[in-house]
Amino acid sequence: MRRNRKRDYLRFGTVTKSLMACVCVAAGGLGYVWQKNAIYRLGDQIKGREAALSSAQRRNTMLAAQLARLQSPALLEARCQQYNLGLVAPRETQVVRLYEPGPEWDLQMANAPLPAQSPARNPTGRMLAKR
Amino acid sequence: MILAPEKGRALIVIGALASVFSALAFRLFDLHILQHKELSALAQANREQVVHRQGRRGSILDANGNLLANSLSVRIVTADPTITAPQAGEIAEKLAPLLKTDVESLTQKLSGQSRYVRLNPRVKLDDAAVQQIRAMKLKGIFFEDQLVRFYPNGPLGSHVIGFVNAEHKGVQGIEASMEDYLEGQAGYEVIERDRKGREIRALRTEELGPRDGDDVVLTIDQVIQHIAEQELDKAMAEFKPQAAVIIVSRPKTGEILAMSSRPTFDPTNLDATSADARRNRCISDVAEPGSTFKIVVCSGALNEGIVSLNDQFDCENGAFMYAGRILHDAHPYGVLSVEQILFHSSNIGAAKVALRMGPGRLYEYIRRYGFGRKTGIALPGEVSGIAHPVGRWTSLSITRIPMGHEIAVTPLQMLMALNTIANGGTLMKPMIVKNVLDPNGKPVFQYEPQQVGQVITPRAAMLMTVALRKVVSPEGTAPKAAVPGYDVAGKTGTAQKVENGQYVRKYYSSFIGYFPAADPEISILVSLDDPTDRAYYGGSVAGPVFRAVAEKVAQYLGIEPETPQTQVARLS
Repeated sequence: MRRNRKRDYLRFGTVTKSLMACVCVAAGGLGYVWQKNAIYRLGDQIKGREAALSSAQRRNTMLAAQLARLQSPALLEARCQQYNLGLVAPRETQVVRLYEPGPEWDLQMANAPLPAQSPARNPTGRMLAKR
Repeated sequence: MILAPEKGRALIVIGALASVFSALAFRLFDLHILQHKELSALAQANREQVVHRQGRRGSILDANGNLLANSLSVRIVTADPTITAPQAGEIAEKLAPLLKTDVESLTQKLSGQSRYVRLNPRVKLDDAAVQQIRAMKLKGIFFEDQLVRFYPNGPLGSHVIGFVNAEHKGVQGIEASMEDYLEGQAGYEVIERDRKGREIRALRTEELGPRDGDDVVLTIDQVIQHIAEQELDKAMAEFKPQAAVIIVSRPKTGEILAMSSRPTFDPTNLDATSADARRNRCISDVAEPGSTFKIVVCSGALNEGIVSLNDQFDCENGAFMYAGRILHDAHPYGVLSVEQILFHSSNIGAAKVALRMGPGRLYEYIRRYGFGRKTGIALPGEVSGIAHPVGRWTSLSITRIPMGHEIAVTPLQMLMALNTIANGGTLMKPMIVKNVLDPNGKPVFQYEPQQVGQVITPRAAMLMTVALRKVVSPEGTAPKAAVPGYDVAGKTGTAQKVENGQYVRKYYSSFIGYFPAADPEISILVSLDDPTDRAYYGGSVAGPVFRAVAEKVAQYLGIEPETPQTQVARLS
């Protein structure tokens, strides 16, 4: 009877504890491996994103350079000639400068009996160039 | 119970096992304790690798933020000739069209003795070409990323921008003078690689990211620079000078809007140019300024109250004997006022004004205008020019210096002197860098216009402007420099060149001017070294170039015309 009780005790106590310990160790081990794996996967993702960022930055720089080249005055002028666009800067006589309206100008216009015959100078002296 | 013979055998076995385990234990002790330091270092070295990453070099931008220079990371193709040599010809035939080179030179590279050779150091490969080469799966052919400096405008402004060497370090121009800002700081990473040589990102232990260089924003406007260079090319074609320069600036701030020099070079193709062409003649070449220097003498005399614009001087009908030598004028003149001396550019008149000033005061004004010392522009290679102290003057110097002889100045110094008059008598330090931006676009450093000093009073400057306006009038020396619609004030210069200590029949033709005269926005210097075709007078050679540049710049900047002719033209 005594031996049987001891066996029972071993079966339900020690074995359970051992199992629990094994489960804990196994879970810990698995968790560790899982975490490690997650770290590696995350590392790979970071690496991938780093590469993508670097590639995007490189492409951005390339495009900026390409844009700068396309905006180069020499290239634009060459293109104008190449396609016979006839685009040239306007001559001074082709430029009409409009005087920028202001409160004083509005007052002057309100008091004027007739529309001005010639361009009057804005009392503020500020001008707006329109080409 | 173990019997005696069995016990003996057991002891032998135990002893043997104990010895083996003891040996193993000792070995382990040796490896882990005694040799720990060396072996762990060796293991770490095998596993870990320090990778250095270079920060991107900063860009150079014009005043409007247009890109003038930046660094691109490009793929270059490298080869190990010890592997490629057996099939060098075959590989060369496949790669030559993609690398834009000839088969012979490529074959030579691929069959060399070294273990590393770059196949396309100067040709940028696009992604498609890289993919094509990859698809060929050629043995001994590899790819490498390399930073190259890219100048989108080619030779435009090359003397100002400069260039970098193979190590990506600035050698000339802004690239050199702003190296500390432009240069990126390298970073490093301690990484571990897997069996295939790929980095295991999770095991990266140390990481210090590279820092990109700062961007430098110039005062140069690429459109004005283009206008200046275009007109310079036309002048080179028309007058065939040995060299020529144009500088465009804002007199009130000292900002340089354009600085161009011929001959020029393309920073993307340095091998094709000589060192002579790379020199920025605007700051590194000195020459006798000729009559443009009369502005210094006359403004000094006006400032001192020694003369007024109406004071009369006898110009001796073109031949003035002084200290045993005859001084000539280009045309014979009788009595001229100071104003007329300026717009007729009389050497004799200027000499007589200087005689009234005296050498001490003349020298003082020469120094006050900044001659004989560097202007301090943020460009390398600037020279001081030559302005001898009075103690080294000869008896003739007082009559020769006013006409721009016996003194050597850089074109930039001369323009800054004119700017002083345009700016109400205040000498400004020339500005070429506007600000410095960090990689995120935030200002790191902002350059402000700097006053060097008050050289003459605003009244004297105004009187000078009154006189200089007539230089471009029909009776002046440069009617061809007049810009329709704008009030231009300027001065011509025609200086004889000195070769082997003798004046020869070669000339520096120049014109310096600013407009609108009443409220100057722009000043321009045009100088041609030895124009060989037809005319050589500053007014006829440099004057029209000034006009062409001024017209276009005024239009581009929207500077309102002021003279009555334009008002009439506009109304009609």
